[in-house]
Amino acid sequence: MGKLDITIEICGMSGDGTIAAGGLLNTAMSRAGWSVLAFDSYPAEIRGFGRCVTRSRFGETKQIALEDSTDVLISLDDKQSLSRIPFLADDAVVLFDNKPSAHLAEGESIAAHVAPGMALYGAPFLDLASSASGSGKGRNLAALGALAAIYNLPLDYFREVIAAKFKSKGDRVVEANHKSFDAGWEYAREQFADRIRGIPIPGTAGEEPEKLLLSGNVAIAEGALAANVKSYFGYPITPATPIMEYLAGKLPERDGRVVQMEDEISAIGAVLGSFFAGTRAMTATSGPGFALMTELITHGVMSETPAVIVDAQRGGPATGLPTKTEQSDLLAAVFGGPGDSARIVIAPTDVTECYHYTAKSFRLAEKYQTPVIILTDFFLDNRVENLVRPTSRPGDIEDGNVYPAIADRWNYHRYRLTESGISPRALPGMEGYIFPATGLEHRQEGVPDFSPENHMVMSQKRRTKILSALADLESPVEYADPGRLDVGVISWGSSFGAALDAVNTAREQGLRVGALKVTTMYPYHAEEIRAFMSRCQEILIPELNLSGQLATLIGHLFPKDVIRLNMVTGIPIYPSVILVKIREIIGVQGR
Amino acid sequence: MPFDRWPRDIVDPQVNREKSQPIFSTDPAEFYYLGLNVPCQRACPAATNIPAYIRALFENHYNRSYEINRLSNILPGVLGRVCSRPCEDKCRHGETELGEPVGICQIKRAAADYKDPGHTYMTRLYAPLGKTVAIIGSGPAGLAAAHDLSSTGFKVVIYEAFNQPGGMLMYGIPEFRLPREILMHEIDGILRLGVDIRYGVKVGQDMALEDLLKDHDAVLVAAGCYASTRLGIPGEGLPGVHTGLDFMIRVTSGEPPKVGKKVLVLGAGFTAFDCARSALRLGAEDVSICLRRTEENLRVTGDEILETKSEGVRLESLLASRRMIGQAHVEGVEFTRTRLGTIGGDGRQQIIAIEGSEFVRPADTVIVAAGQRREPVKFLDDNHVEAETAAGDHAYVTSHPKLYVCGDYATGPSTVIEAIAGGRQAAGRIVEDLTGRKFREPVVRMEEAQVTDRQRVWDFIPRQAMPTVKPVGDRFETPQVEVELGYDAKTAHEEAKRCYLCYLHYEIDIDRCIYCRYCIDVAPRDCIKLVERIETNEMGAIVGYRETSHWQHVNAVVIDNSRCIRCGECLRVCPVNCITVTRIEQVERIRPTGGD
Amino acid sequence: MGARHLVVIGNGPAGKEAAAVLRDKEPESRITIISKDHEGQYRPNFLPDYISGRKSLEQLYATPFRFYQDQEIKLRLGQPVAVLDLEERRIILDHKEVIRFDGLVIAVGGRPRIPEPLLVFQDLMYTLKTVQDANSWIDRLASVDSVVIVGGDLTSFAITRALLQLGKRVGFVFSEEAFWPQRCNDQILRAAAAKLAARGVEVVPGRLKRIVRHSETRFEIMTDCRHLEAGLVGAFFGLVPDVRFLAGSGLQIERGILVDEYLNTGFEGVYAAGDCAQVYHPELRDYWVSIGYDNALRLGRIAASNLAGGREETTVPPESLFCDQGVRANTSWWLEF
Repeated sequence: MGKLDITIEICGMSGDGTIAAGGLLNTAMSRAGWSVLAFDSYPAEIRGFGRCVTRSRFGETKQIALEDSTDVLISLDDKQSLSRIPFLADDAVVLFDNKPSAHLAEGESIAAHVAPGMALYGAPFLDLASSASGSGKGRNLAALGALAAIYNLPLDYFREVIAAKFKSKGDRVVEANHKSFDAGWEYAREQFADRIRGIPIPGTAGEEPEKLLLSGNVAIAEGALAANVKSYFGYPITPATPIMEYLAGKLPERDGRVVQMEDEISAIGAVLGSFFAGTRAMTATSGPGFALMTELITHGVMSETPAVIVDAQRGGPATGLPTKTEQSDLLAAVFGGPGDSARIVIAPTDVTECYHYTAKSFRLAEKYQTPVIILTDFFLDNRVENLVRPTSRPGDIEDGNVYPAIADRWNYHRYRLTESGISPRALPGMEGYIFPATGLEHRQEGVPDFSPENHMVMSQKRRTKILSALADLESPVEYADPGRLDVGVISWGSSFGAALDAVNTAREQGLRVGALKVTTMYPYHAEEIRAFMSRCQEILIPELNLSGQLATLIGHLFPKDVIRLNMVTGIPIYPSVILVKIREIIGVQGR
Repeated sequence: MPFDRWPRDIVDPQVNREKSQPIFSTDPAEFYYLGLNVPCQRACPAATNIPAYIRALFENHYNRSYEINRLSNILPGVLGRVCSRPCEDKCRHGETELGEPVGICQIKRAAADYKDPGHTYMTRLYAPLGKTVAIIGSGPAGLAAAHDLSSTGFKVVIYEAFNQPGGMLMYGIPEFRLPREILMHEIDGILRLGVDIRYGVKVGQDMALEDLLKDHDAVLVAAGCYASTRLGIPGEGLPGVHTGLDFMIRVTSGEPPKVGKKVLVLGAGFTAFDCARSALRLGAEDVSICLRRTEENLRVTGDEILETKSEGVRLESLLASRRMIGQAHVEGVEFTRTRLGTIGGDGRQQIIAIEGSEFVRPADTVIVAAGQRREPVKFLDDNHVEAETAAGDHAYVTSHPKLYVCGDYATGPSTVIEAIAGGRQAAGRIVEDLTGRKFREPVVRMEEAQVTDRQRVWDFIPRQAMPTVKPVGDRFETPQVEVELGYDAKTAHEEAKRCYLCYLHYEIDIDRCIYCRYCIDVAPRDCIKLVERIETNEMGAIVGYRETSHWQHVNAVVIDNSRCIRCGECLRVCPVNCITVTRIEQVERIRPTGGD
Repeated sequence: MGARHLVVIGNGPAGKEAAAVLRDKEPESRITIISKDHEGQYRPNFLPDYISGRKSLEQLYATPFRFYQDQEIKLRLGQPVAVLDLEERRIILDHKEVIRFDGLVIAVGGRPRIPEPLLVFQDLMYTLKTVQDANSWIDRLASVDSVVIVGGDLTSFAITRALLQLGKRVGFVFSEEAFWPQRCNDQILRAAAAKLAARGVEVVPGRLKRIVRHSETRFEIMTDCRHLEAGLVGAFFGLVPDVRFLAGSGLQIERGILVDEYLNTGFEGVYAAGDCAQVYHPELRDYWVSIGYDNALRLGRIAASNLAGGREETTVPPESLFCDQGVRANTSWWLEF
């Protein structure tokens, strides 16, 4: 077989243990050496009414996007799984419970929808779990056992992760769950003896350094911890809440705090206050919460106070689609709020970048004395990748503050004009450096001043300061052969993975295409972007918003109209969709 | 304080209550419920309390298990080997997706095999009433009636035409299916209640029925069916042609007839199979049972068909005999092929001969096992005994006030368990007629059950196979050897685990249920329902559920006991302990003084 | 006919032909084939040649999935039927899905039969019905050089030929049971035995009494007059129609499903075809079960055609009949050998 690349889905009703099973599968496969990219979707309700789907893509090389085609579907609840049928590959494998508790009408079983080229494996998950462990609750594990048997997956990893996950519930639970898993495995070994499909175990199994499974949210939290953040002020909102929860567990050990504020306005206020006093803090929110923060964010811009804000985008507008992904806050992040309030906006594209960008953001915020907004999205926050435990680079997390010189003591002007625009910043309590800070327009001393020339000069100062950050911010990265390209694909955030995957496939197909990853959204590297664009016949910008916000932001750098590929479906964009568009574009050119 | 450490009597007010006493009821709604939920007992003509005896064996109380049987079906050791097992056909474990029925009969046999050798029967004996009853025939019907009448206080005298007791049990069933010591041991248990038995007396021939009627307070005819049905085809009288019953009687009397090499057995009942297997043991090389219909329609149990075929007997279907061929001795049988038509008046498919399909099958021995009829007992002026065959009050009663009938004599050839049940019922009728009161009655007993130790895992235990003498050749070395070896104690215990104990009744207290539906999640089938309304019949018994999947219409979460397999999963997961378990069984209540 | 749901149980030659004919005759109706096999349709009569290497795996598989798609026949693989409910006109699959039908053709074929007296040796013998079976034979044959065949049905001769082509030593124990449902006579036995012996097969007299396994590749076979040793024992006692799931359904079952000369089971719209059907034949004066691939195709066609409103009778091809006390049967396999 060619390169290993398999997408496995588990679908069930909430309460079936679907998500748990998916988690176990991801961890076990990661231990065995495969690369993992997983993303679950689950309903808002806790029990009984919604569909849970876990999707995991496993491969030998790093997985950067999910495809819309599923290779293996494990159905824990046929009624829910029927909706997944259209996504099955032509030769997909379907596992289902072939002893449901009641009779089903024709078409209600997933077996009715499996095409002949697919492979159907039926095992009585509920009965196997009941007979092995005395309880039907282990049926998701029986299903995993069957999967492991069918694919000849190394059992030890599974048993280890089951033991680890249920350790806190006691030995009896661990044993019962092992029994359920084993029952599924043994049944499958026997019944499917002539239909086993092995997949190759990567040679990297058990290699050091060990890989972890991290979600975007956890990576953000860990990045903040690496930067020694002291406080988190925030208000719960999907999909940012896990950051708060994670830090709530970790910060107290380091003498830090998570404080749930009464709303997002006070949350950002507290962050600004903390940084003003010289201590790192952060907040994380989503679109609706971010909107509440905008006035105070511009206060940070005007008063040149650092802040770190994570905007974990979700479907909008307003309350929108809380559990769906979207990338529609870009323009709000860059331009939102009253006045000309340029601030730094960065957008990681994968879990590793979530970590590093968050770690760096504190230094950037301190150095450029500005709110730094980290844009992520539901997909990026909740998806899980396996990666070597990230560690921060010292240069990223060091104190970024530009402190005033000793010479300025007793003669300190907080907003002194400088060539870079960065005015050295004293911290309250430094003797001899007392200063006023205000959200009103002010002159160099910090005293309010509304005169015409002053506002012009100070506005330019603040703008210059932000533009000077370009050197400190990640440049766009090219993935292309040198020379002319028929299509250049530019994307950002979690959509970039799909774009790159599509471009890689297109290049394998012999097309002249390239990709550009843009992670610094503002200020953006106009020169580099323009240079890339100038090599391209056409520019395609796929993103998860309706109007094409990145296209609107940088499209003017291209002499003709960029081609927009916009999707607001709430689900991540698939590489195949982008590839179809690339081919269509090239076709249009009559090549 | 975590919820699981709260004082139990706050969480579960039932925990400090005193253990409640059993309740007895004769409400028809209860019997209706039991008919639906304990189908094995309902299917048994003798209403044996099957779950109770299986549970007793599970607890290794072999004696108790044996007694529970004996009190209903009188001859457990015998039945454990030869019963036609109507219970197993209805066993809920045999429902389509649940697997094989429980080996109820094999467990009965195990109880008989493993009871203490010195076990004494626990029959309740009443004071003598000073009345006597004569029973004609010591087959299963007569023996069962003798048992009941004698223990109720009647003096019983049995008049038996053969030289040994047992009727068809002794003379119609071969020893390799029913060892004689087992049979005699159980018959002795009945005779020692003070029953007299006179052998070699054929009433109506060696003595007059009228004399019996004079000498006794009642006479019960349990003479069975011993007149073989003939086919009425040419050549049936040729030497070498036997009737099934005569053949078996000669085999079991120790004077077997000569059997050739090629044997054809015509017939489809138990006797045909016994004859075929006996013929093999008498030296036949090639034995075929010729059926007019197909194997599907046989009443013989599946196990027996398998053993018969394993011994080498061929079963040939769709053959109807036309005539027997031969000069001085039978040489063959001419058959036509048949096909099956529509269901006839007797509830079975009609047999239609196919024109022009005649052919001859060679044979040197032919056994016609086409059934038996009763030989009417001569009575009064050459009139024959009439039995009124209406059911209910008129069953077992004849036109003569002191004369009763039961068993095969009354019903035509049937099964052992039917005969035993009929014998007991006839005895009950006689008791009531002669004393004016009932001594025994069926009643429903309800008692709170301790939470059962039954485990879900046991539901997946496959049915334990009955070990038989193997290799098959060994069976012919000692032809009398019993072919079925019986479960060993461990296997019997294992099989006993498979019984769902359908006498348990699981019920959700809807006042305490919080509708969390955990029970439904772990239910093995559609046994727990979200219900809008319950439908009841005129007796007050539940006959249906109106289910709903809309939350606003759900009025209760209900366990449908007719679907419930008593696995106990719901009980284990319920977070508020709102499920109770009650044991509901049909038992026989003995009236101490016999009352209303 | 309006749009009906026509169901075919079995995706062997009979079932697939039936479905094809039904589609031809009833373009509006919905047609579903339900099979317990996971693999597509293959030709069981090619299995011996596959074992000997003369046919490839591709040649075994007869009908590509494309065919079903093009004909709009829904093919459900790997889904055995558990219950047939004639009253409600529905079938229940093993995984508890209920399928209603307006018309039904049962073409479930047969499974290798082991006569009851030999059931106790079942695990020691190899049968040959599916591609998986054939692969097991190929695996085992790699490490043995002698085989004993017990039985004498159609396939036994074909496999014997294949084994001889592979250079294996072959012993053959004829069994009366093998010509089931017919009983063979000595004349036939002698003719067949002579043919085998002429090819170098050792024909062993007597009835099979016992098989003892000494190791994975060493078996001792005992008849009532001889002892033999071989590396593999093959059981070829014909096929018994795989109709256990139909017990209690109301269909008349003898060894197979009893049908009239139109292949109707006696229930309206319910037909049987192929190895699982048992038809009375007046010339034979017996019920016969169709044997062989071509017969299966033919019966599948006839059953479907009759389900769609036709009145075609089955007839037995007149060649190769043998006579035994006035009973004749269509058996020609040893002649082809």
